[in-house]
Amino acid sequence: MTIPTTAPTPATSAPLLEVRDLTCRFGGLVALDRVSFAVQPGEIFGLIGPNGAGKTTLFNLIYGLTPSSGGAVLWRGATITGLPPFRRNRLGLARTFQNLRLFDGLSVLDNLLVALRRQPGESLLGGLLASASHRRAERQRLDRAGQLLEELGLAALAERPAGTLAYGDRRRLEIARALTTRPSLLLLDEPAAGMNPAEKDDLCGLIGQLRSRHQLTVMVIEHHVPLLMRLCDRMAVLDFGQRIALGTPEQVRHDPRVIEAYLGGAPP
Amino acid sequence: MIDNGLLVQMLIGALLGVSVYLPLAAGQLSLATPAFYAVGGTLAALLSTSWPALGAGPDGSLPLASFLLVLLLGGLLAGSLALLVGRLVLRLQGIYLAIATIALVEIVRVAILNLPFTGGAIGIFGIPQPFPTAAGYLLPALGLLALAGWVCQRLEVMPLGRAMAAVRNDELAAGCMGIDTTRVKLTAFVLSAVLAGSTGALAAHFLNTWNARQGSFDTAVTMLAFVILGGARSWLGPVVGGLLLTALPELLRPVGDGRLVLFALVILLGPVLFPQGLMTPALLERLGRLGERADQGEPQP
Amino acid sequence: MIEALLQTLLNGAATGGVYALVALGYTLVFSVLGVINFALGALFSLGGYLTYLLMGGAISANGALPGWGLPLPLALPFPLALVLAALLTGLASLVVERVAFSPLRRRNAEPLLYLITSLGAGLALVNLLQMLMGAEGYAFPAGALAGLPAAVVVGGARIRSVQVLLLAVCAAAVLALTLWLEHSRSGRALRAVAEDATTARLLGINSDAMLRLAFLVSGGLAGLGGGLIGVSISLPGPYVGIGYGLKGLAVLVLGGLGSVPGAIAGGLLMGLAEALVPGEASGWRDALAFAILFAVLLLRPNGLLGRRLVEKV
Repeated sequence: MTIPTTAPTPATSAPLLEVRDLTCRFGGLVALDRVSFAVQPGEIFGLIGPNGAGKTTLFNLIYGLTPSSGGAVLWRGATITGLPPFRRNRLGLARTFQNLRLFDGLSVLDNLLVALRRQPGESLLGGLLASASHRRAERQRLDRAGQLLEELGLAALAERPAGTLAYGDRRRLEIARALTTRPSLLLLDEPAAGMNPAEKDDLCGLIGQLRSRHQLTVMVIEHHVPLLMRLCDRMAVLDFGQRIALGTPEQVRHDPRVIEAYLGGAPP
Repeated sequence: MIDNGLLVQMLIGALLGVSVYLPLAAGQLSLATPAFYAVGGTLAALLSTSWPALGAGPDGSLPLASFLLVLLLGGLLAGSLALLVGRLVLRLQGIYLAIATIALVEIVRVAILNLPFTGGAIGIFGIPQPFPTAAGYLLPALGLLALAGWVCQRLEVMPLGRAMAAVRNDELAAGCMGIDTTRVKLTAFVLSAVLAGSTGALAAHFLNTWNARQGSFDTAVTMLAFVILGGARSWLGPVVGGLLLTALPELLRPVGDGRLVLFALVILLGPVLFPQGLMTPALLERLGRLGERADQGEPQP
Repeated sequence: MIEALLQTLLNGAATGGVYALVALGYTLVFSVLGVINFALGALFSLGGYLTYLLMGGAISANGALPGWGLPLPLALPFPLALVLAALLTGLASLVVERVAFSPLRRRNAEPLLYLITSLGAGLALVNLLQMLMGAEGYAFPAGALAGLPAAVVVGGARIRSVQVLLLAVCAAAVLALTLWLEHSRSGRALRAVAEDATTARLLGINSDAMLRLAFLVSGGLAGLGGGLIGVSISLPGPYVGIGYGLKGLAVLVLGGLGSVPGAIAGGLLMGLAEALVPGEASGWRDALAFAILFAVLLLRPNGLLGRRLVEKV
């Protein structure tokens, strides 16, 4: 199936996200070793590599969940090292998790409402007194959440506790929740895990649609390489914490280092 | 049986239950409530007995306005202490946080016991009364409880309340969604402290004397029992738990010396028999629907 | 001068030893179950009273049966009474496990609930003791430590021998515990369950039995502490254990949850720090332990020797 795309912007425009010589050490173990690349606005950027290559660690560093041992993460040209995750989210990053971290005890709707924080015009006191500005802000929040639920096919489940949803719906809910904060960059960590081929196809299409409808840049970690081959504009390949390839899917597919990293198995 | 004095004590129990509930609603097991209760009570006792501007009469009476002012000040002092200490303490996780708050309770208790102006082991007595009888305290206590309940109820439809629930569910994910989790936890902590402080101020006047024994470790865990046995899903749980468990030792008086053992057995068996507490989610839902039907004017079942 | 300092240090080390015993009691259960047994303080008191009764002591006028003593053929000498009391307290600890922990474990309850039930059990025990023995203080029978000189001479200074005894018994208990955990079959099985319950079960270790063993030994340690404090100072009332229980909790967290060397080091640290508080400020002594704990936690949120809990994302 064709994936709706926006024309990839030329590589000469300023990158949205850049990692420079990013390194991460846990005691004696080097999880990431001077990894560098840049992600351009509007592109879908894939991250692949064998198990333990450091992909999720890289996401965690980009998002500020794990401290780096060297190198830098730059957002729109400025270093964001040291910023806690919530600040990075407010700058425009959002993510989903490999092992799904929904607010299981909250309803589907509340999972989204949580990410819609207090507006500048809203005050705590106003909220307590149910002031007009609070009620207005609440309506806006409910509208936005409702839109996203519609878009991701979850509207019928709005009142259900998130913990009771089917697996596929939970994955889509996490994506919806990440989109609530109007991010510029969406980090998807193994969004297709546990899905059958038909579902993976749908997911591919969904990511492409979301990219154009919400003006997103997307970074995706995936194990299922053929999926990324179809979806991504460019990819980076990690192995043992090092970047061993960077380029379009065609370039990466034929890179001898990549083929070797996958142990001479079927070329990706 | 249940006289006005006991009713006031039950309301105080309910208030302290809500105070313990607030940090828990943000996922923080804080047992610091007795420390703030003690601080509020001590301030109230000191102000009412030694600050002439409050106008305590020679007959031991206190103008109502002064009483309300002291309630406010007790809450504010406790809240300020919470603000100071909270940032440091809330970095801790789980059981470490719980024990750090127990440590805080003990430090406050010993401080009140040893500071020269807080009355030592005997404490401060002869605290002026705004009301001639115990019944007079019912209204302020109910008012304070209503205020606390209203705030808790409103929080559920406010971003702050939702943020607290998110932090309780998964703090890391909440942070990743843009929530300043430190600030959310601190707000819950400070609200809890303000409530405990005001309650302490109320209690000090009601009890007429105040000493360091008012805030101690086993009262902390007993208050936690109010929340757990009453139900930790909504603020109604600790209210029910606080009312019942405060009344229980008194109601058991006829049993004689064994009543404290019986009380302890209730705390022991409560979580086993009522794992979700008394105000279970199912019950809360039924109450919610009853409320909706009442709004719509339909006949009750 | 030197004499006073030596005595102070010795007092501190002896008290610290008792704190360490209690902390180790918490550690054993925590390492296997991951929760704190809030009934441990009550077991401490129980140990004290049992030692007293086994030594032929009688219930005071305030108790349920004034003047009554255990129908023993002869009053037991202190060492025997202490050991027997510790054993009986260990058995009582098993009852606590059965009543306050088992029902919750069967339902996979969240850790918070154990706090409540164990406190309930502890409070019930303390109030039972109060009903039975009365709330007044108990001094151990005179001549309890017959045969022990009042003071020993160390390096030219005379120091109270009861403190030496205290320290010696605590040290012996800690040593025995460590040897048992490191080298005995049951001790190593216990540690296996603490490390990874599932794998231990796959290896044929009965983790339920190990849990009960942990409770038994844990109760024994607490009871031992109670008896030691009783004979060296006195039993001011049934709530004495609550105080030591809290201090033990502070030591537990100070040293790092689940760390045996941490509990020992933390106990000594607390005991010595408290002993060095000058007499004029003795009222503040109780707060010192908690102030130290507070300060340590702010610098090292997982205690001195605790392991950092890294959350997997």
